[in-house]
Amino acid sequence: MAESICRNLRDGALEGEHAPALSIKDSIATPFGSDVFNYVLTKLSSNILAGKSQSQGIVLVAFSRSPSFYVDFLKTNGIDLVSAKKWISILDCYTDPLGWKDSLKGPLDTKNFSLKDPIEAVLFRHVRNLDLLLSAIIEMGEALAGQGKGRFSVSIDSVTEMFRHASLPSVANLLSKVRSHDRISSTFWLLHSDLHEIRAIAALEYLSSMVGSLEPMNLSLNGQRGDLEKLSLLEQNSRKGKFHVRFKRRNGRVRVMCEDFHIKQSGINFTPVSSEEGIINQGLLPKVQFNLQLSEKERIDRAKVVLPFEHQGNGEPMHIYDGRRSLSEGKDEKASVLTENLQTNEDSGKGEIIYFRDSDDEMPDSDEDPDDDLDI
Amino acid sequence: MAAMKTRMSSFSRNTSVAPAPQAPGLKSGPNGTIFLSSGIPDLDKILGGGFPLGSLVMVMEDTEAPHHMLLLRNFMSQGLVHNQPLLYASPSKDPRAFLGTLPSPVLSKDDRSHNRDPEQLQEKGLRIAWQYKKYFGEHQPNFDSHRDTKHEYCNDFDLRKPLERHFLTAQNICCLSIQDPPNLAAFRDCCAKFLAQFSRNNSSISCAGRVAIQSFCAPQCEYSNMEWDMLSFIRSLKGMIRDSNAVAVITFPPSLLSPSSSKRWQHIADTLLSVKAIPDEDKELANLLTGYQDMVGLLNVHKVANVNTQVPVILEATTFSIKLQKRRYLVLECLNQAPVDGSSGSSYASTGSCSGSTKTGTLDF
Repeated sequence: MAESICRNLRDGALEGEHAPALSIKDSIATPFGSDVFNYVLTKLSSNILAGKSQSQGIVLVAFSRSPSFYVDFLKTNGIDLVSAKKWISILDCYTDPLGWKDSLKGPLDTKNFSLKDPIEAVLFRHVRNLDLLLSAIIEMGEALAGQGKGRFSVSIDSVTEMFRHASLPSVANLLSKVRSHDRISSTFWLLHSDLHEIRAIAALEYLSSMVGSLEPMNLSLNGQRGDLEKLSLLEQNSRKGKFHVRFKRRNGRVRVMCEDFHIKQSGINFTPVSSEEGIINQGLLPKVQFNLQLSEKERIDRAKVVLPFEHQGNGEPMHIYDGRRSLSEGKDEKASVLTENLQTNEDSGKGEIIYFRDSDDEMPDSDEDPDDDLDI
Repeated sequence: MAAMKTRMSSFSRNTSVAPAPQAPGLKSGPNGTIFLSSGIPDLDKILGGGFPLGSLVMVMEDTEAPHHMLLLRNFMSQGLVHNQPLLYASPSKDPRAFLGTLPSPVLSKDDRSHNRDPEQLQEKGLRIAWQYKKYFGEHQPNFDSHRDTKHEYCNDFDLRKPLERHFLTAQNICCLSIQDPPNLAAFRDCCAKFLAQFSRNNSSISCAGRVAIQSFCAPQCEYSNMEWDMLSFIRSLKGMIRDSNAVAVITFPPSLLSPSSSKRWQHIADTLLSVKAIPDEDKELANLLTGYQDMVGLLNVHKVANVNTQVPVILEATTFSIKLQKRRYLVLECLNQAPVDGSSGSSYASTGSCSGSTKTGTLDF
């Protein structure tokens, strides 16, 4: 399922459509959003290198990690960086986002990296000015994708960082312009959901076509739990979790998928859901009101019911109840099942139907209609 | 008429009825209201004739699905077919581009089959009308098959065919982008100017106007933080609409507003609809509903405008499924529950979104 996200980003946008956008959300309970982000980045990079994807380059806007981190990360994950300058550029908003170092030390050269470094990283000092940021992204992307119709992808390290510097409407404006730009093939970003208001998160979900949220494996309840249990829960949550994705499909339906993930030394692994059913459907409609079939338990109970009629329908010889309890009790003691006897004895102790037959001439279950003698 | 009959009582019927509107695309309804069509025949039927002139229609979007666009497209196309001026505002950079996706009306009634259930065969034997209400609409004879599209009150629109160019190049379409302006003053002035063309006076209506505003509180708009300003804009738009022969449709995603704002917006609407996405490949839902495969979403009618009357409109059902018949025609159908095998019917849980007749009562027989 993480595969299908990567495939969606790889396939990119159709003509006249907005680019697919993935939002990766995490929280303090499962702080592995950056691992998922790096995973998606790796997959997209390998797709670009293999020539399978619509986009021809990635512009990575790095807010929360330095460009050198990404260089090392891609190297260790087997992405060939020999020709990296042709397909990836990093907009470095990490080193000096507000231009303070610049104003302290005097003008420095714009490139933070020496020419030997494999990836081109451009220092960006004006994160508060989102128009400038957008034009820098577009410029870098067009340089990667060439003059013609080629497209590129944009990935934003952490939108949470962007929110520190700019308001919600301006960030949303930037993201929607990125999505609707005709040279952008796909885009993905990371955000930490517990650092924002609900409105901000709702706005970002509105703007994205896929929302992947990380959730802890076991949602801890507020019940009485011992310390050892809490520790074991923390242990479990520290390496594993659930990854829920909501896809907005073109036909207007929403596909909900779920996977387990496991963080290992080498990276992150996604496995299909191991535990029982994944999603509890809220149910847009009421459940049915009537039940036409009996469960096993209900069938047994039905067999046990003692009918108030004279013949019980179970093949036993009919005996007419004539108000003398001792007869039935005697019969019951001879029965093999003792527990049921106790039950019926107890039941007969609670309430009694005392019925005296009118006459012993009446045959049991005669077909005569007692209302026949009424003259209407 | 009253002069012809001998008067039986001292009451006399006032026969001076409002004149039937001369303009195409308008229909008179009860209580002296005049309706204009929403562009979706089923929706007109549900709402009792269409959208009344002078009312504000609000559609609550679902952030996960673009169904509100279907409603807007049909609304706008219907207006253009009837030559009613249109004001369209959206948060995209180029709203004119949206006009290219407007559907074209279906030319003849024969194109579209009325048979909602294609598997239904004419059997000689016993026919069991399961979910019988589905069949009520089929027996209406086609009176209007000889009329051409211009004079039909409500057209069926083929969503796969774009609207012809000559409708779009008319002078009466005004498109606005609401993404960049920092506040709503300019937009308000534009609406005021547009609606001044249709102000109400006692003479007959020359033409009616339509205002369509898409995703009014979208986060990329500069003013989307200013909740009171947006509310005040809607309030003044409602006032302007009341005074003119026009209908405004505003769509907005309620989850992007604060809860109190969202409530206020819902209250200010005359007609309130909402669209909802449905999960894809949901086996439970597929078992519960017939026709799940064709459904693209759900439409809920929360409020229907009651103009000039104190009697509220109570609908038989408030939840409808949105289907694309033959992937072209938008139909709204009442939800039909499939025969359930009952093995899971342990609890009787009902949500408020389904038809108004189901209530969780304390009496359970």
